[in-house]
Parts: sequence; structure tokens; C-alpha cells
Amino acid sequence: MTAATSRADERVADVGLLRRLLIRPELGAVVGAIVVFTFFASQSAVFRSLDGIANWLDPAATLGIMAVAVALLMIGGEFDLSAGVLTGTTGLILVTLATRYGLNVWVAMLAGLVVALAVGLFNGLIVTRTRLPSFIVTLGTFLMLQGINLGVTKALTGTVQVGGLRSASGYEGARTVFAGTVEIGGSSFRVAILWWLLVTAVATWVLMRSRQGNWIFAVGGDEKAARAVGVPAARTKIALFMTTAFAAWLVGSILALRYTSVQANVGIGQEFIYIIAAVIGGCLLTGGYGSAIGAAIGAVIFGMADKGIVFLGWDADWFKFFLGAMLLLATLANRLVRRYAEGVRH
Amino acid sequence: MRRIPVVLALASALALTACSAPAEQNAEPGSAPPAGGGEYAVITHGAPGDSFWDVVKNGAEAAGQEYGVTVTYQGDGDPAKQSQLIDQAVSGQADGIVVSMANPDALREAVGKAVAAGIPVVTINSGADSSKEFGAITHVGQSEDVAGRGAGEQLKSAGVTKLLCVIHEAGNIGLDQRCTGAEETLGGAVERLQVDVSNLADVTSKVTAKLQSDQSVNGVLALNPAVAVAARDAIRDSGSQAKLATFDLSADVVAAIQADEILFAVDQQQYLQGYLPITFLHLYKNNLNTVGGGLPVNTGPGFVTKENAERVAKLAEAGTR
Amino acid sequence: MILETRGIGKSFGSVLALREVSMSVEAGQVTCVLGDNGAGKSTLIKILSGVHQHDAGSLLVDGAEARFASPRDALDRGISTVYQDLAMIPLMSVWRNFFLGSEPRRGLLGFDVRRARRVARDELRAMGIDVRDVDQPVGTLSGGERQSVAIARAVYFGARVLILDEPTSALGVKQAGVVLRYIAAARDRGLGVVFITHNPHHAYPVGDRFLLLNRGTSLGQYAKADISRERLTSLMAGAAELEELAHELERD
Repeated sequence: MTAATSRADERVADVGLLRRLLIRPELGAVVGAIVVFTFFASQSAVFRSLDGIANWLDPAATLGIMAVAVALLMIGGEFDLSAGVLTGTTGLILVTLATRYGLNVWVAMLAGLVVALAVGLFNGLIVTRTRLPSFIVTLGTFLMLQGINLGVTKALTGTVQVGGLRSASGYEGARTVFAGTVEIGGSSFRVAILWWLLVTAVATWVLMRSRQGNWIFAVGGDEKAARAVGVPAARTKIALFMTTAFAAWLVGSILALRYTSVQANVGIGQEFIYIIAAVIGGCLLTGGYGSAIGAAIGAVIFGMADKGIVFLGWDADWFKFFLGAMLLLATLANRLVRRYAEGVRH
Repeated sequence: MRRIPVVLALASALALTACSAPAEQNAEPGSAPPAGGGEYAVITHGAPGDSFWDVVKNGAEAAGQEYGVTVTYQGDGDPAKQSQLIDQAVSGQADGIVVSMANPDALREAVGKAVAAGIPVVTINSGADSSKEFGAITHVGQSEDVAGRGAGEQLKSAGVTKLLCVIHEAGNIGLDQRCTGAEETLGGAVERLQVDVSNLADVTSKVTAKLQSDQSVNGVLALNPAVAVAARDAIRDSGSQAKLATFDLSADVVAAIQADEILFAVDQQQYLQGYLPITFLHLYKNNLNTVGGGLPVNTGPGFVTKENAERVAKLAEAGTR
Repeated sequence: MILETRGIGKSFGSVLALREVSMSVEAGQVTCVLGDNGAGKSTLIKILSGVHQHDAGSLLVDGAEARFASPRDALDRGISTVYQDLAMIPLMSVWRNFFLGSEPRRGLLGFDVRRARRVARDELRAMGIDVRDVDQPVGTLSGGERQSVAIARAVYFGARVLILDEPTSALGVKQAGVVLRYIAAARDRGLGVVFITHNPHHAYPVGDRFLLLNRGTSLGQYAKADISRERLTSLMAGAAELEELAHELERD
């Protein structure tokens, strides 16, 4: 009996480790990132210089914070199309309250956070109560916020942007924490990168090592089955919508503090990029599977491609074409690697 | 196992696209720069494919060829992205940067960093008021209120009493200044209409709606040639008798002037906004010359009317006006 | 007698789904509920598992009258139901599914992953289930293996009564045999099992008591000693009706 079981254990140990490495959802994204990095680094010295790395890590960071939050939601089986425009709303609230109503920047940020969480709560409640597809519900929220951003800004300021944050009280402190830079090896790296790494680490821990993470996978994989075993499905989904809203507040505040002004159309169009980054990172569109680290790497691929094309001096008119082609290739590579990894199993 | 060759094929396809990437006027990375050469980055807030900015791009690239220097052109309407492009140019140690500041506040840090790194900056087109403050060596453009006032005068003499001013770019202070300038000299009412230049069909429908709902509007001032053409369609569709004028030229606009559909175009000669900065940076690099004496270099306003339209038309076709 | 129903009934509007059904479940014994489609089996399970509440008769737990307000209520009383769709998430690993909804804590929000993996592996092994790797997604297991994981899960979480809703209906002969073996294993661990099926050949080997349902009412509850397999089959098939049908179909 013991000889047989110990043999079985050895068998499990071997196959388990190999398989566990290969079926990780991030694998495809890692391969894609290596391919894209090698491609650009081999052709542009600036791209691989410390300065260049700081350049492309920055858009990766602001995109990455959103992509990680959106990935969590997608694993939970839902979409949030309002996340992009919400970065504009929170930024507009911050700048408007701090400049036109003289609030301290930190207080204005808090107000933005409250509004963002309220929007997330709204999205979550509607989706869980009405059982309407989240794609439709958040599309509605997206359009409403778009209108509000433009309408309220115009009503208050007569123009389509608010600015002048530099002179608001509390600006310097907030700027250092959210929009400052860190000197590493003679190059300035944006603080947003640190925020992004923190968000990714927290999200990964929640997903893989917490009870709530187990619920997220379950609710995305099969909501009915999850409910049947007592998982609080509605609460989990609402929490996920509030998480994307929180991320939108963080990114909106970072951008507002960095550029001291916000245009009313900020963030519109970004919502699909978040989803694409999450999908590159291994998230299934149908939910129940994915990875926060993968989404973060997806954002890095985006940042590298976005800035790499500029570093290579390619004609600007072809920019969008090359970006799209590159993304398609990265996603396809991801698909292939996944299929290969799953084929390895018994 | 069959998958690996496919992945390799994809990877090599990726490598091939690099080799065949179109990079006509730009130097191949790694090859020796032309003698006496330099690398200048032009970073504007115009979206790629915008007819107005294409002329600026043509001017810059023509100057590049003239002096044997490398000129790269990038454009993005999002100030955040524009700021990142400036950062990239600084990392790439450009010899000079040309930037249009539609939103000067957002670009303050990036331009400051470029100046701190010892890279000469020339601002063009928008943001003239902040140019000197940010440390640029000069500004090349058109004073927007002067141009606006000029347009207002011409519209007044054409009998316009209520004017629709169509603003096509959110947050661009320069455009707002044009409308304000026109307001000053028109002596009548001016109403602003916000549209999105990347959606021209929508521009037409918005202007049509406005003309139909407010019959007292008898003048439309467009601030962009594509918007002007869209507005012309709107006037035709709505059956309105409103007079149309525009800022900036395109082949379509010139043809419309000849056809009496557009009264006049205020030409800021944006070709010069591409050509001159490269000239100035080239001279600065080789001879430490500064131009303007602390004041901006004006490229306009010039007026294109039915009288000179035909001659200008030929030049517009070549993409230089 | 852990679980017992006396003359239980349920109607939905004007439809009388169940009437006068009496059955009992004892610890360490298997009660089979047999009947064709539409006999009322699923209504009965839903009452036993707390999804519905009965309209007539009484439900007794450990001899005392009871009424389940919700499935969670029944679960808390130790009545665990394994549905046909299994309440398993195909994309999630075996150990994650095992502890879904009852994850062992670690700190404030943490999930004791190491313990979960170990316990899942040990519990499955104790039931005699050989799942090679508890990390593999449940969707890659065979139908029989999935059922056995569900049973092992119910046993581990302290079920006293295990209700299995048609566990063998979608399985082939060999797989069904595997599941029956695990039903016996659960029974031997002291649980009371309610085994719902429409296949008397599956029910007979493992059952101690047989409840026959037909069109919402009971044809009787029989102990194994009091009924043969053939009699069971013919009662289920409605012997008289089959006779008539045979006559009808005969060629002249």
C-alpha cells in the first residue's frame, strides 16, 4: 500500500510542477512581452536605455492600474465600460472643487473618491438586481458620465476644460505623492509606476490567497453554482465594480495632479484598451479565468508598443496600424501558447 | 508541438514588418547622420491625418531636406500623450523640439524638462502667451486675437449681424481667442458652437440644426478647413443664406472660395509654422542665433479671397498652403 | 431516524405536485427514491433541501418537527444536497471547488491555501478517490470523478444526510458503478443517503429502503428484504400499463 502511494506521489510531483507552470494564464502575456521588448530593444538604443524604459513604463503604469482592476472584474464575469470616462469625472471633480470652490486638494480628492465609489456601487447594484448584462448597464453609465463631464464643465466654466490646479492649496504635497518622480540611476521614473506595482501586488494576493478571491473565480465561472454553495455573489460583484471605480479615481487623480488641468473628454475610448490588456493577460471574455499579473504585463506590452513605434521613428501616419497589428500578434501568441500548454495535460 | 513553428513564424513576421517599415524622410536608426546634421522632433497637438497639420508637417520635412537634417513628426490631441512624446524626445536627446501648445498647463513640466536638459524649444501655433515663460527660444504662429479681429471686420463689412463661431477642438485657447477677436470687431452677437473635428458628419448635422433652430444667424465662422467644408454642406442643406468664412486653407476651401460658397479664408500660412522653426533651430544649433527678439514671429493673418484664390489653389494642391 | 416525512404535500397554484408522501432516512442507510420523469422526485428533494416549503403533512429532523426557511438552513442542519449540475465550477481547481463557500481562514481575509490543498487531497484519498492532481480544473475530470468529489466534499463538511439528485443519470455503465461505490463509502461513514434515480438497476444494489413515486404520490416505501428487483422494476414501469401497451403493439 505504501509503495503504491509513494509512487503515485512522485508521479504527481513531476507532472504537477511542469503543468502548473505551463497552464498559468500569464504565460502567453510573458511570451508576448518578451517578443515585443526584443523587437524594439534590438532596433533602438534609446528604447532599452534607462531613460527610454522610464518613458514606456509610464503609460504602462496608468493603463496597468486600470487593466488590473478591469481584469478582476472580468474574472468575476462582468464588464465595466464606464471605467475610462470615470477617470475624467474624478479628475474634473478634483480640479473644479480645488480651483473654483477653493477646497484643499486632498479634500477635493476625497470628494472624487466618494463620487467614484458611488458610481461603482450604482453599477454593481443595477447589474446584480436587474440581471441585465453588465456590458449594457455600464454602457449606459458611460454615456451618462460622458454627458455629465461635458455638461457640468461647460455650465460651470463656459469652456470644456478646467485648469489652474497648481495654485490650489495642498497641491504640492498631493503632487509629490501621486504625480512626482523617483530618481533611479540618473533617470526619473514616475511615481505612478510604484502605485501600479502596488495595485498589481494587492490584486494578485486577493485573487490567489484570499477567500474573496476564491469567490471571484467562482462567481465568474458559474454564478448559479457559486450561489448554491453559499458564496455571496451579489456582494462580490458589487465589490468588484467599486474596485474598478477606485482604480479610475486613482488614475484620474494622478493625471489631474500631473497636468494640472483636465479636459472634459478625458478617458473616452480607453475602456476597450483596458479590456484588451486584460485579455492579453489571459482573462477569458466569459469570465472565471485570468490573472492580475497578466493584465499588468498586457499593459506593459501596450506601453512598449505605443512608445516603441515613436522611438523607431516610424511614420506617424502609420502609427495606429502598427499598434493594432502588434496587439493582434501579441494576443495570437498568447492564444497559441495557452493551447499548447493545455495540450500538454494528460 | 506543432504550435512552436507557428509561433516562430509569427515572431519572424514581426521582425519582417520592422525591416519593411515605411520611414521615408526619417533616417534609418544606426546609419550615419547627414553631414552637419541634427535631429529635430516636431510634436503637435494635431491628430494624424488632419489636413491643417499635414501642411505643417510638409513644411517641417521640406526644411529638413533643405538643410540635410532629420525631422520626425508626431501629433496627438491628448495633452497627456503629447507630454509623454516630449519626454521621449528628451530621452532620445533631440537637438531641438518644436511643440504646439494647445494646453500649455499640461505641457509645462515636459517643456521645462526639455529646456533644463539644454534642448532648444520653439513653440508654434498655440500657446503664444506661455511660450517665453516656459523658456522657448521663440514662438512662430499667428496672433489669434489679431487674426480674429481681422476676420470680424471683414464679416461686418459683408453684412453679418449674428455670427456662429464653430470651435472644433476642446480646450484650445487659441481658437477661443479667434472667436473673441471676431466678437470685438463684429459689433453684433457671436455664439460659440462646440464640435468634434474627428467627426465631420456630426459637424454638418450640428451646424444644420443650429441654423434651422435660429433663423437670425446670418454668418458662420469656421476655424478649420475641414470644418468649413462641413459647414458649407450644412448651409446648403438647411437652405440658409448665412455667409461663411473660415480660418486656414485647404484645396477644398480654395475651390469653395472660387465658387462663391466661402467668403474668405484667414490664412495663417501654417507651412511656415513647420518650415521656420526648423530653420531657427538649425541656425541656433550651428550659430546660436535667436529670432524675434523675445517677440513671436507672426506668420499671419493673410486673407485669401476670390481675387487671389486661383493662384493659391495651385499651391494648396501641392500641400504647401 | 435522522430525516422523515409524514404525508407531505406541495402544490404550486392549482397544480398538486406532491401529495401524501411518507419516507424515512436512517444513519448508515440508503433510501432510494424511484420514479419516472414527472413523478415528483425533484419537488421532494427541493422540500428536503430547503428550496421549497411543504404545504401539507410534516417534516421531521431527529424526530422533531422542522421547517427549512432556506437552503442554507437545511445545510446548517447537516442536510447536504448534490444537484445534477453539481455546484462545481469547471474552470476552478479541485481544491478550490472543494472549499468553495467554506474556505479555511488565515488571518483577516486570507485563505489557508496550503491547508486547503492538503485536506482536499487527504479527504479524496480517504474516500478512495484517486484524483492525480488536486490542482487540475474540475472540468477536466470525468463525470464520475466530479460526482465523487462532490460527495467527498459533502462528507467532509459534516453532512449527516446526503441527498443525491440523479447522480448516475448522465453517466455510462462503468462510471455509474464508480459513483455507486462512493455512495456506499459515504453510507459506511455513517451518513444517511437519499439516492434519487429513475433507474432501478442502479438503485437496487446499493439501497436499503425504496420509495416509489408515481404522478406526485407514493406507491409505497419498501425495505430491501420485502421487494425483489423485478418487482421494483415492474412497479416503476407501471406493469399494468406496459401490458396494455404490449397488447396494442402486437401484430395480429
